[in-house]
Amino acid sequence: MSRETEIVPTAVARRRFLRLATFGVALPVGLSACAAGGSSSGDASSAPPAGEVSEDNPFGVAKDSTVDAVIFDGGYGTDYVTFASAAYTAAHGGEVKVTPSTQISQQMQPRFVGGNPPDLLDNSGANLIGLATIAAQLTDLTSLVDAKNLEGTVIKDSLYPGMLADDMYDGKMVQLNYVLTVYGLWYSKTLFDANGWTPPTTWAEALALGEKVKAAGKYLFCWGKEAATYYLTLAIDSAIKEGGDDVRKALGNLEADCWSLPAVQAVLTAMGTAVSSGYFRPGGAGTQFTAAQAQWSQAQEAVLYPSGSWIENEMKDQTAADFQMTGIPAPAATASASKPAEALHASAGEPFVVPSKAKNAAGGLETLRIMLSKEAATNFAKTKLSSTIVKDTVPSDAFGSTALASQVAMLDKAGEDSFTHNFVDIYGLNTDMLVVWNSFLSGELDVAGLTSGMQDITDKVREDDSVVKVSVS
Amino acid sequence: MTIIGAAPATGRRKTPPVRGRRRWTFDRISLFVVFLVLPFLGYLTLVIYPFLQAAYYSLTSWSGFTATQDFIGLDNYTRLLGDATFLKAVGNSLTLLVVVPLLTLVLSFALACLVTFGGSSTGGVRGLRGSSFYRVVSFFPYIVPAIATGIIFAAVYDPSAGLLNGILTSLGFGSAEDYPWLGDASTAMAATVAVIVWTFVGFYTVLFVAAIKGIPAELFEAARLDGAGRFRTAVSIAAPSMTGALRSAYIYLGIFALDAFVFVSVLNPGGGPQNSTLVITQQIYSTAFRQGRFGLACAMGVLLAVITFVFVGIVFAVGKLLGREKKAEVLR
Repeated sequence: MSRETEIVPTAVARRRFLRLATFGVALPVGLSACAAGGSSSGDASSAPPAGEVSEDNPFGVAKDSTVDAVIFDGGYGTDYVTFASAAYTAAHGGEVKVTPSTQISQQMQPRFVGGNPPDLLDNSGANLIGLATIAAQLTDLTSLVDAKNLEGTVIKDSLYPGMLADDMYDGKMVQLNYVLTVYGLWYSKTLFDANGWTPPTTWAEALALGEKVKAAGKYLFCWGKEAATYYLTLAIDSAIKEGGDDVRKALGNLEADCWSLPAVQAVLTAMGTAVSSGYFRPGGAGTQFTAAQAQWSQAQEAVLYPSGSWIENEMKDQTAADFQMTGIPAPAATASASKPAEALHASAGEPFVVPSKAKNAAGGLETLRIMLSKEAATNFAKTKLSSTIVKDTVPSDAFGSTALASQVAMLDKAGEDSFTHNFVDIYGLNTDMLVVWNSFLSGELDVAGLTSGMQDITDKVREDDSVVKVSVS
Repeated sequence: MTIIGAAPATGRRKTPPVRGRRRWTFDRISLFVVFLVLPFLGYLTLVIYPFLQAAYYSLTSWSGFTATQDFIGLDNYTRLLGDATFLKAVGNSLTLLVVVPLLTLVLSFALACLVTFGGSSTGGVRGLRGSSFYRVVSFFPYIVPAIATGIIFAAVYDPSAGLLNGILTSLGFGSAEDYPWLGDASTAMAATVAVIVWTFVGFYTVLFVAAIKGIPAELFEAARLDGAGRFRTAVSIAAPSMTGALRSAYIYLGIFALDAFVFVSVLNPGGGPQNSTLVITQQIYSTAFRQGRFGLACAMGVLLAVITFVFVGIVFAVGKLLGREKKAEVLR
């Protein structure tokens, strides 16, 4: 072998050098090199409605037109959109053709570039397209929520309060979040009743409960490495309840020193105490998040878990018998908080968008109108044990789900005192913040370190002129 | 050397008239088309064109979802050079580039030596007893798809339910209880490297076994008669006779280590504790698809390409220098 290399002239050696080099480089560069040379014809963008606009057809859907719907195939599946197809066919002929996808960003990228996006897109899941990236190419959905649903009620009047807050981007309603999500702390009512524990309404109570739980050989909290920022959501919710809307605005607008506000610090300090007192189950930074969640729902080694209301559905195969999953709003730092104890972080998830270049944008809007009507919304609540943003679709027995029942109860108690925040998602900060939060929950980083780490991340975005800022008010 | 070098020269002097006469025969044209033009066209459209395209996008602020791009010059590169997270990813990739090939090659070379001439020192030169069995078994990890390997090891490293901590605690290492191997910045990278090395050792063992078998057996016998032990034989006989195989292996492993995407993203999708396992390819992926900044991602890709070229250049330069020294030694 060495003999061969000696007689090879340099030209051949160089050729082999190139061959080897390009072989290895082709993959990483190829990954980022996707053709953008497609046609940019925006023919369909300003096309007038093909069908006649009427009371029953507010968007002018053409007769027998097909709706090309790409739906994220996650925890909720895609059958709830297929369900809407029956009503669509009855009214307009044609059908809603559902294509399930878990690679939204990868699969939709060439379609947006090529100018042939779908008529309806459920932009959700781990591979969703950042809203800022496509906001300019989306239809304003104001006409949808101003329209009447199939029962004749104006759609925006049929929704829970505050549900459209996260749908605005740069003054335009670019998406419609369909599924109601309530954030809070979740626990087993059975377990709490058996031990005589009461769920905490303040962080002082939470720490006291931590001591009792520890005496019973359990932990107060557990976490998984991909979901360490659930505790960030909890901390923000608690801080907003403690300090009011000023805190919400300061954080949402990425203000300087926003993480050092007294209300935020009060919550972070309490969390730091919980970490240093050993109320967190160790090892979370190396545990896959559903495995960690099973430590709470199945093994019951931890008794409280902060999450959105999808948790019941997500863990339904890994929940101990007679668990009676129940939720409470995030606790405030102190009993003298700005917002009442019932105040709740409620928002909507599963963002649906209608691209403005869609061939049948009217059909996309019509499909959403059907989904926001009673029959489809009730069907969703019944089959997914989650509520949509449409009010009054969940009966009092909540189809036998304690978690869904407590969701509705929390919403009713909160009334107008529900709030939301989404700056972490808008600016895509989760990946960076996970790193800091895993360190904090492991005890490697103290409260001061967490504060400066979080401030660095938000400062970097605020000072980056290339990022479009969304003003929170 | 001179004779070998002269042969083609005389051939060249003779061939021109022959070549001229045969230039346009069907045979010759079809040969060119099938073996040169088609592969070259494929290479142009599938490798060179995407290369140039990526290089151009790296000079734009393309989001990835629009039909047009805004040209912004070298802004993306300036941004990257000031981006602490990206520089951290470059550092991690370079660490992998050094550590993974080194560990894998040393281990697989040692294994290859054991199964070829590490056996009993009486009788003919042979490997350990049962070496053919070891050779087959060591190849197994390479057959498992990388993604499956990643998932298996993620479970093995699990702090509370993992095999590793289970074994360690039962052996009496109390501190291993609930220890997050992939969740602690001081061990995450080492744990990841261990998985990659585990995967590749078997394959390179087989490769090196073949290289060693290519060395005349008389050399080993002569060395043994001269009193060389197994270690001396490995270092002075086997290694110098297979520099070509070692160098190719080093380059392939290095290029793989610069990628490493599958392993790191299965073991620690978010870049690991304090970004300790974040690599460039992961950063490219999240910048492009999560943040919608294809221009910036392309700039990262171009930098990765440059790093790869430099790495391969260095390996060849070092190989050449060593080769020259060896020749000088022989002359002396």
